[in-house]
Amino acid sequence: MNVVFLQAFVATAVLLPLAAAGVLALAGWFGARLGERAISAVVGVTYATTTFVAAAAAVLGFFDGRPIVVDFGEWFAVGHYAFRWTLLGDALSLPFSVFAAALVGLIGAFSQRYLHREAGFFRFHLMLALFGAGVQVVVLAGGVDQLFFGWEVVGLTSALLIAFFHERPKPVEHGLRAFVTYRLCDIGLIGAAVWLHHAVGTAAFVRLDGAPWAGVHVPDAGSAWIAGLLLLWASMGKSAQAPLGGWLPRAFEGPTPSSAIFYGAISIHLGPYLLLRSAPLLDANPGFAALVAVVGGVTALHGAFVGRVQTDIKCVLAYASMTQVGLILVGIGCGLRHLAVLHIVGHALLRSLEILRSPSLLQDYRHLEQAIGRQVPRPKLALERFFPASLRPWLYRHALERGYFDAILRDHVVGRFLRGFRALDRLDRKFTSWLGGAPATETRR
Amino acid sequence: MSGQHGHDHGEEPTDVAGILAHVSHYVPEQAPLHTFVHHNTLHAFEHLPFDRAVVEAAKLFGAEPYQSEAAFAAHLRSGRILSVDCDAVLADELDRDGSVQCLARQRRFDFRRTRLRHLFEVPRGPALQWQLHETGLFDRCHSSADAARLRLVAAWADRRGPGLPPALRLPNALRALWDRLAAAAPMVARPAALRGIRRRDQLVLAGSDDVDQSVHPLLIRLCAAFLDQGVALWHMPDRERGFLAAVRALYGLRAPAPDLWAASLAAEFRRQQEAGEDAEATILRALDDLGVAPDRRCAFVRDTLMSLGGWAGMMRQFETRPDRAPVQPLPARLADHLAVQLTLDAAAARQALRDRCGPQATWADLESAVPAAAEERDLELAFEAFVMAQVADVDLEALDDPAGLAAWLDEVRAFGELERRRCLHLAYERRLRLIVLDGLANHAAAPPPPPPAPTFQAVFCIDDRECSTRRHLEESHVAVQTFGFAGFFGVAMAWQGLGEVRPRPLCPVVVTPKHYVTERALRADEEQRWLEMRRRRGLRSAVVGRASREAAAGSLVAAVTGLAAAVPMVLRCLFPRLAERLSRGLKERNQREPVTRLVLERVGDERTADGLGVGYSVAEMADVVENCLRTIGLVTGLCEIVLVVGHGSSSLNNPHGSAYDCGATGGGRGGPNARAFAAMANHPKVRELLAGRGIRIPDTTWFVGSYHNTCDDSMTWYDEDLMPDARAAALEAAKRAMADACTLEAHERCRRFVSAPRTDDAVRALRHVQARAVDLGQPRPECGHATNAYAIVGRRERTRGLFLDRRAFLVSYDPAADPDGAILGKVLGAVVPVGAGINLEYYFSYVDPKNYGCGTKLPHNITGLIGVMDGHASDLRTGLPWQMVEIHEPVRLLAVIEAEPETVAKVMARDATVAQLVQNQWIQAVVWSPSTGVMHEFVLGGFRPYRVDSCVLRTVGASPEFYGGQIDSLGCARTAASFGGGRRTGGRR
Repeated sequence: MNVVFLQAFVATAVLLPLAAAGVLALAGWFGARLGERAISAVVGVTYATTTFVAAAAAVLGFFDGRPIVVDFGEWFAVGHYAFRWTLLGDALSLPFSVFAAALVGLIGAFSQRYLHREAGFFRFHLMLALFGAGVQVVVLAGGVDQLFFGWEVVGLTSALLIAFFHERPKPVEHGLRAFVTYRLCDIGLIGAAVWLHHAVGTAAFVRLDGAPWAGVHVPDAGSAWIAGLLLLWASMGKSAQAPLGGWLPRAFEGPTPSSAIFYGAISIHLGPYLLLRSAPLLDANPGFAALVAVVGGVTALHGAFVGRVQTDIKCVLAYASMTQVGLILVGIGCGLRHLAVLHIVGHALLRSLEILRSPSLLQDYRHLEQAIGRQVPRPKLALERFFPASLRPWLYRHALERGYFDAILRDHVVGRFLRGFRALDRLDRKFTSWLGGAPATETRR
Repeated sequence: MSGQHGHDHGEEPTDVAGILAHVSHYVPEQAPLHTFVHHNTLHAFEHLPFDRAVVEAAKLFGAEPYQSEAAFAAHLRSGRILSVDCDAVLADELDRDGSVQCLARQRRFDFRRTRLRHLFEVPRGPALQWQLHETGLFDRCHSSADAARLRLVAAWADRRGPGLPPALRLPNALRALWDRLAAAAPMVARPAALRGIRRRDQLVLAGSDDVDQSVHPLLIRLCAAFLDQGVALWHMPDRERGFLAAVRALYGLRAPAPDLWAASLAAEFRRQQEAGEDAEATILRALDDLGVAPDRRCAFVRDTLMSLGGWAGMMRQFETRPDRAPVQPLPARLADHLAVQLTLDAAAARQALRDRCGPQATWADLESAVPAAAEERDLELAFEAFVMAQVADVDLEALDDPAGLAAWLDEVRAFGELERRRCLHLAYERRLRLIVLDGLANHAAAPPPPPPAPTFQAVFCIDDRECSTRRHLEESHVAVQTFGFAGFFGVAMAWQGLGEVRPRPLCPVVVTPKHYVTERALRADEEQRWLEMRRRRGLRSAVVGRASREAAAGSLVAAVTGLAAAVPMVLRCLFPRLAERLSRGLKERNQREPVTRLVLERVGDERTADGLGVGYSVAEMADVVENCLRTIGLVTGLCEIVLVVGHGSSSLNNPHGSAYDCGATGGGRGGPNARAFAAMANHPKVRELLAGRGIRIPDTTWFVGSYHNTCDDSMTWYDEDLMPDARAAALEAAKRAMADACTLEAHERCRRFVSAPRTDDAVRALRHVQARAVDLGQPRPECGHATNAYAIVGRRERTRGLFLDRRAFLVSYDPAADPDGAILGKVLGAVVPVGAGINLEYYFSYVDPKNYGCGTKLPHNITGLIGVMDGHASDLRTGLPWQMVEIHEPVRLLAVIEAEPETVAKVMARDATVAQLVQNQWIQAVVWSPSTGVMHEFVLGGFRPYRVDSCVLRTVGASPEFYGGQIDSLGCARTAASFGGGRRTGGRR
């Protein structure tokens, strides 16, 4: 097969979604009033085509055996640094690309009916298209530099869709919370890129002999630790790992299909994807691999405990997602990379379907109860039974308070900063009133 | 909650029990969603006239009483309200003082008339300042003044500034007028919002953080954990001991509490525990702690509970109606809830007080820290008066005089926004009332030829959705007679179907069933096999469903079966109808539901553990059958086949599914009632008894129970195998007729769905509604009661062949057979409260989807199997979702009762509930005399004859000719097909 064809397929898988998002955005900017059918058609056709070309590239590339590299050339250069936009279609990225495009298309078709007559119909589909494009940029990126752009788009669309119902204060608050978490953790990604350029001279993914796919590679152990920690930090935010995961249950403010695709299927699994791309670091550095497994393990345990006491279906599903992503990290840390890929895909399909079905819980529960012929039984082997009865109330309260992670972050980490700033504000006012001779009006908190 | 100051009445109680009894009326009265029962959202205000009640409730809840003025303006533009409607309403309202000269030349009636024709937006606050300073407000006359008025104003301006250049005269005069109006405007307190009496409100005004932001998330978690019916895998410890005890035990633990606001909470809960305080003592103590004076307690508690009213209401539901708990009743008490909320509030408010005013601060310090409300001139009123002075036919010279100016401002204020909206609402209702009353009167005035003798009869529920089904049945099969009776058909039973876990009442909510009815498989071994198979399949899916939430099991499930989820994922997203067929096909491959028999007849005095009689005795059955047949007037001329059609609705993605079911069965599905009624009426001994009471059911007559699914328009038929073979042909014909009617019904429903195909092909429409019913992505499975507007109690002859746009509850009642009104009393006693409840719930959810309704469905999050929250952790949302009500026209139910006014007056004298709803005008009652044919509207104080407005009634062949291609509400028309005229069926089949 001609390599040019393969390259064209891979390039289309990234450029077509970007173009679709661009068309919708321009239409919105110039105030064109597109009908619901037209909007859905743009999204549907785009992602159906993307699925098809990505699948073609995956199948043909599999027979070809070599990774497909597309080079869009050098975009800018500053001193020693040059940004080349390259795409990489290999055994890891192409299956993910197909999978993500197909899911976005399906959710687009679903949302045509779900968001029918909703004021934000256009906005939702624009965000969905942009998100899909961001995912393709992340998945098919040839290095950390390029991946970063898609990563940001995914974060932005995620926050904007959490705040979809912006006429109520809570969605906006929770969207902001997710956004702040993302931004804090993005420091890790950009830091990793900088460090890789500093230590290796490039942040591109390279394929080592015997490795199934390309990845971040750092020859010396110290640098590997630093790059690894930064990448882990980046993936912890996106994948809601403990103790940063408090935003995840709060993210279910948007319309149900957006929750399904972001937090059941794709966005939540980008952290593990990044770590799969960091496989060489994990192989070369058992200590770091163990750390990844520990973070995942702690999150899984936390999610499993907290999820048991949640009483609303979306929180239940949020913590179930968190638990499984934690376990996927454990798998990656233990070197079970192919199993992790299978786990990601299976979990994404299962969970997003569960989220889409969540508004039918009452009907489903009634049918289940009728079929069984009695109350739906509670599990026999429950986590809490491993603990003595006297400890269980403590444990229950701990789970109900979600491990107090939120309270600690709010009152003792962020709160310290805020109190510090307020003290400075008071000082500032004292100073200005001393200067001006009149008491300055109080700044509203 | 705003405007609480000065709202305290002397009669409000100060003791805890009294306070709780008082405030419990205000919390939402919505049961857990699985038994959604429509009720008047403002039930607690029914002792007041409607127009006063909506305003008082609006003040209390910060809600909207009517549609917005902008919405009414749109109705005026679209012709939904005509100006004659406004004039008629004003003439009614002002019949005494309409001609009062409010200013020279200007009668009050004329002023108000002009005002309603000019519904301009009055800018508020900064928007007003912007208009004043930036938009050239004084450069020219207001845009809505007509040409004649423009000339008058120009002449006036010329007279005032003869020395000025012409271009400056108008601006000069207008500005001078504005200055005078602004200076004369009365003083008002601003900002009016957030002057509540809770400590939280004062803290916010004093610049502190909102303590509800700390308390509510915890309180929501606690309420949800306590009331959970089966979502959580691990239940709240000790919840059997009650909410307060469980919370005390959990939060009195000596565990580190990183939340700063909750630092003192553990000690407080331990103190309560050790002192052995009951909820009442804790409430009093917390109120004292919060510094609430005894005379303020009631309002304080009400506002506190209403700040999270949905949860408080659900606690009360579990307290008063434990039988309605979906899975497990719990010892909930509103007092416990209040005790917990006040304890949390007190801890948080104390902490905030210390942060704001220092460690030793008292509540008095807080009160002094709250900035006083500023008084300022009411410029909004001045603006309105300013614009109206340019637009209305008022003598502008008279405004030079301070007395004239004040009178003008008073006049404008007296017809403020609320008053205008009230009048516009009346005009909006009037238009619809005229349409249907004229339609009825004209239809009756020229009676159509009688239809041919029926070959079968069908008894439906009175539901507005069956209104059109009946019409289509009569159009596609003229030889039929239809009746409307409340959809439980008088069979008030606790029903337990095969394999169901617990019985559920299938009767109106006000009735407590005394009979238990169940079903058994014909062959016991078949039943066992079927139940066993279902059980195994159920357990399997329960295990998988639960496992996906757990850690280890979840990863196994995800890795092993996750990929298989791709199949349902693709199908559910792209081909919902196919997906449902496949999944049903898989389930039913090996197992057909066994043939069953009702366990209906009671032998001896067998009773269930709850004391319900098992089944009915023959005499009781005869009573049920007699009551129904006499009420609908079907005592002679019974055909070979009499269908009894119950109804319900099934859909996915619909937490409010039960609100689409039959209201007369308390939000259940009426199939079993229809089946039981038919079985009773077919019982030989029952027929024997009835013959003795003067109702002779011929031996050739067979009653057939059936069930109409109003979502996918399918029919289910019961006990066909019991039917004598001789009736088989007649039943086949009736089934075909019903199938035709259902298909056309689907076609008519599709006209209201924007996303449905615009087609003449009724079968395609049927496929469309079938897909809607099984689509996970469909937030509008069907229209529900969204079109309800009328209830018509009387003979079907009066309405047969009249297109009523599926808006009417059609109740069969024969006034000739009921001289003393005994039957009418029973009918109205059931229909008026149920109809008004449905109608008013739609009304309030429409006019204020935020406060009375539960907003858009899209972010809804089912919690505890009892209700929905908005997204993550909000108050429990009550009322109806926007998708359910969006095509509703918010009018009060127009009940047209075919009876003499004296008979209705007698009924009202006997039935206080009906009387209250009619006299306080929660429904619009019209009495239609069967002897004279004159209609009387109920107005304040009595009945007033109605004069027909328009004598035109369009005649069409069949109803699709009339509704085809239309998407909005339609008026009345006569359909000739219902009498054998015109085309037999409209839609291509």
